[in-house]
Amino acid sequence: MESHPLKGLNINASNDVFVNSVFSSEGTNLRNRSSYMSSDDDMVDITTSGTTGEGTLPTDLQYQPQDSDDIPGIGQYEDFHTIDWQRDIARDRMRHRYIIKRKQNSILDTIKGAHDAWSGWLCVLLVGLVTGTVAGIVDIGSSWMSDLKFGICPDAFWLNMEQCCWSSNETTFGGVKGNCSQWRMWSEIFGSSRVGFWAYIVSYLFFVIFALSFAALAAGLVRVFAPYACGSGVPEIKTILSGFIIRGYLGKWTLIIKSIGIMLAVSAGLSLGKEGPMVHIACCVGNILSYLFPKYGRNEAKKREILSAAAAAGVSVAFGAPIGGVLFSLEEVSYYFPLKTLWRSFFCALVAAFVLRSINPFGNEHSVLYYVEYNKPWNFFELIPFVGLGIIGGCIATIFIKANVYWCKMRKTSKLGQYPVTEVLAVTAITAILSFPNPYTRMNMSQLIYMLFSQCGVSSSDGLCDYVYVSNITVFKNTTSAEAGPGIYRAILLLILALILKLVTTIFTFGMKIPCGLFIPSLCLGSITGRIVGIGMQQLAFRYPHLWIFNGECDSSDDCITPGLYAMVGAAAVLGGITRMTVSLVVIMFELTGGVRYIVPLMAAAMASKWVGDALGKQGIYDAHIDLNGYPFLDSKEEFAHVGLAADVMQPKRGEKLNVLTQDSMTVFEVETLMKSTEHNGFPVVVSQDSQYLVGFVLRRDLILALANLKRNPELYDGNALVTFTITAPQLPPNSPPPLKLKKILDMAPITITDQTPMETVIDMFRKLGLRQTLVTHNGRLLGVITKKDVLRYIKQLDNEDPNTILFN
Amino acid sequence: MLKLSVLVFLLIEITSFIRLTKCQSYENARCNCICTIINNTKISKAQYIANVPPNNDCDSVILPPTNGMQVNNHTEKFCPTCQCKYESRNTTTIKFVVIVVVWVISLLLIYMMFLICLDPLLNNRRRKINYIEHTNEEDESPNHTHLPEVSSQFSVSAVTSSSGVGDSSSSGNVLNRVSHHQDKWKRQVQEQRKNIYDRHTMLN
Repeated sequence: MESHPLKGLNINASNDVFVNSVFSSEGTNLRNRSSYMSSDDDMVDITTSGTTGEGTLPTDLQYQPQDSDDIPGIGQYEDFHTIDWQRDIARDRMRHRYIIKRKQNSILDTIKGAHDAWSGWLCVLLVGLVTGTVAGIVDIGSSWMSDLKFGICPDAFWLNMEQCCWSSNETTFGGVKGNCSQWRMWSEIFGSSRVGFWAYIVSYLFFVIFALSFAALAAGLVRVFAPYACGSGVPEIKTILSGFIIRGYLGKWTLIIKSIGIMLAVSAGLSLGKEGPMVHIACCVGNILSYLFPKYGRNEAKKREILSAAAAAGVSVAFGAPIGGVLFSLEEVSYYFPLKTLWRSFFCALVAAFVLRSINPFGNEHSVLYYVEYNKPWNFFELIPFVGLGIIGGCIATIFIKANVYWCKMRKTSKLGQYPVTEVLAVTAITAILSFPNPYTRMNMSQLIYMLFSQCGVSSSDGLCDYVYVSNITVFKNTTSAEAGPGIYRAILLLILALILKLVTTIFTFGMKIPCGLFIPSLCLGSITGRIVGIGMQQLAFRYPHLWIFNGECDSSDDCITPGLYAMVGAAAVLGGITRMTVSLVVIMFELTGGVRYIVPLMAAAMASKWVGDALGKQGIYDAHIDLNGYPFLDSKEEFAHVGLAADVMQPKRGEKLNVLTQDSMTVFEVETLMKSTEHNGFPVVVSQDSQYLVGFVLRRDLILALANLKRNPELYDGNALVTFTITAPQLPPNSPPPLKLKKILDMAPITITDQTPMETVIDMFRKLGLRQTLVTHNGRLLGVITKKDVLRYIKQLDNEDPNTILFN
Repeated sequence: MLKLSVLVFLLIEITSFIRLTKCQSYENARCNCICTIINNTKISKAQYIANVPPNNDCDSVILPPTNGMQVNNHTEKFCPTCQCKYESRNTTTIKFVVIVVVWVISLLLIYMMFLICLDPLLNNRRRKINYIEHTNEEDESPNHTHLPEVSSQFSVSAVTSSSGVGDSSSSGNVLNRVSHHQDKWKRQVQEQRKNIYDRHTMLN
């Protein structure tokens, strides 16, 4: 987010910038500010701020006359600023050209060239390996800690409930999980029995206490070590990938605390999932590892290619769906996604999924707990209930988004926001107390999803599968009729209660100051809805098999409807409604189920839910949160059909003064006063104040660095020296100080438009080229500047929203 | 200091770990058999877990005819309907991961307690010490007592170099750098905290 490079001194500085509001009020202390800058770099112990010209920079970066890498820090950005894609890509192109040119010189240079060529692949390989490992750790850790709420395996405390009884032959099918002598419930340890009133009380107490302590720990860690680790992270990743700098957001402390915090938060039994944070974790890994390769670590635009691949790896390990991950990166988070990045994401997702699969965190040979294998055919008429599920999913999603955004706004503006830890504890306590009595909410959400997804028959004797058995010994087949037993009605009642509880708690949970993702709760909401609808359909088909709707297909077979499939479709519908994903969602879902047979039902549900969602509310949850926080995100999905000209949007407005530098007639003093008196992040350079013919554009940050560099040698520093941006210095009177040549920090090719350019074109340029600002000219003379912030404000204004409050908090 | 204790604890942990794995009663592979039991008019299912035979072929597992399930007169029908599946897991990985996670959490917890409770006190003291140091360069022993605790979280190289080089000026330099790093990190976290908890400009 940049200030207006040309905004006059006297114009209201209040609505200035994200920078000013976010950053401390000592805004003028710029040197201090720039010392914060390389925080991310420092975190991985690669300092980019070497001392000037002492050969600390690698030789391959001191090549081009244009580039100014001999002044430390140039080419980087300040915190909460937008990057200039074109400039960074041009810098990389120059670097690449230089390496190619040097290639023939010596063997060493050839090797350097080869290393440069494969470093992208190497980097994503490393990202994949590390992401897979971290995901494995998070999976194992969270499944162990979740079961700690119920009991412990005294002989081997590191095993969770299922693993504890894994090799025990006491388990019989359909028994309660953990029903073996090795696993001890807390009630057994502190009481005597596993059942009974007192055992229930003890279990209840331990459940709540463990939940509270896990949640308190998570909230405390986030608050003390890495506040950026809270939330799901997907809206921020989206904004960062669109070209925004948030220093420390992808640092190593964020990585550690987010990984640990999400384990704790999931184990606390809160209504949240680890899938969204996994994307953030993967991006942290990508950012940290990209510093091993200067090509990516020092170039923000190039770094985003690695981050896109990392986001794909994150989803890949979260759902065990590599292709779904790549598509998620493409559809949902990435902004700039060339084919090269697609292949790298593909590779990265593949490596990550492979690593996670070989860790085998759940002992089920799959990388997710709720992997189900389905092979039952579906009938054509079922498309109607599937579309119906999509509509229900869209409605649930809209309710969720509206309520959640309302609550987050409340939290932001009211006094509630002052008690982040108390809020976490309160929500945890309520969730734990309410969810223990209901067996479906007591269990881990992933387990619930698994149960709802799986078919009856082979699975447990849970109430959900209490069908009336029909023996058919002659055929020797396990035929269960579709007729519901009393257990099913009870299960449905409990599921409805669970649905309401989950919906309400998720609304309050998402946005709390702990790591929390949204995928699992929405899958859970959807699968509950789907299962209920599925059982309803099944009973309908059983009672009235000859209805016209069934088209005669349910006449012969008893179980023509599989409720588990409905659960799956419902999950896709709600998730699709909340995130507004389509393609990636369907791919993720069918990778989860291991069958391509259900693509059409899933597509139908996802489409229906997207339509309903779009009709009822404009945005998905991530876009709504981006809006709520006022991140400078220029959505490439929306279309604009507004009439407006560049002249209406540009700064300065009519009658205001345009702050410019001249190419060879300003002294150092004048430049410094101009910089002190204005807040702009860049200044156009013109031939002279009278002619206003454009020469180029110079960034404030580069100018500050260059002047600071000059000040280090006090004998050379002279306030009366001229600042020149030309190749040849102008004729100077004798015994005047030598001019300060700053041509190397001047951008000689700024993007320019004329004042009559329609705004649609301008917005398109900003979106497609990733511009940070464009200069507006009239008859070849400079008129003003349009920055990305101006464009965003313009869009807000046209949407009848307040441009100031929405964008800049 | 903190680092050393961590190392010692890890060593203890590793030795106990090796000891435990020897007498492991939790196998890494099993045959998971799902059997259909037909009891007069009812069909029910049961799970039976068997040890893996040496050739790893779960189909050749011989299930005992009676294993606590109510199969009286249908034993001969019970056996052929079992389907066995070979399953494997790795308890060593699980153990290692869980222990590491527990360690990391407890370390973070201790460090959090340190930052919340002790650090403000120490900071006051350090400010005083720094003032003394200005007047008396040689007096650096109190600095040594508490700073390594801080440093261990941050930079391995700093610690090793300070132990390797006995020279007081260079080690002081390293310590300064480490504490400078820590201060910088603290400032950043403070900034993040301000953005999120006070001003609510981000991550709402």
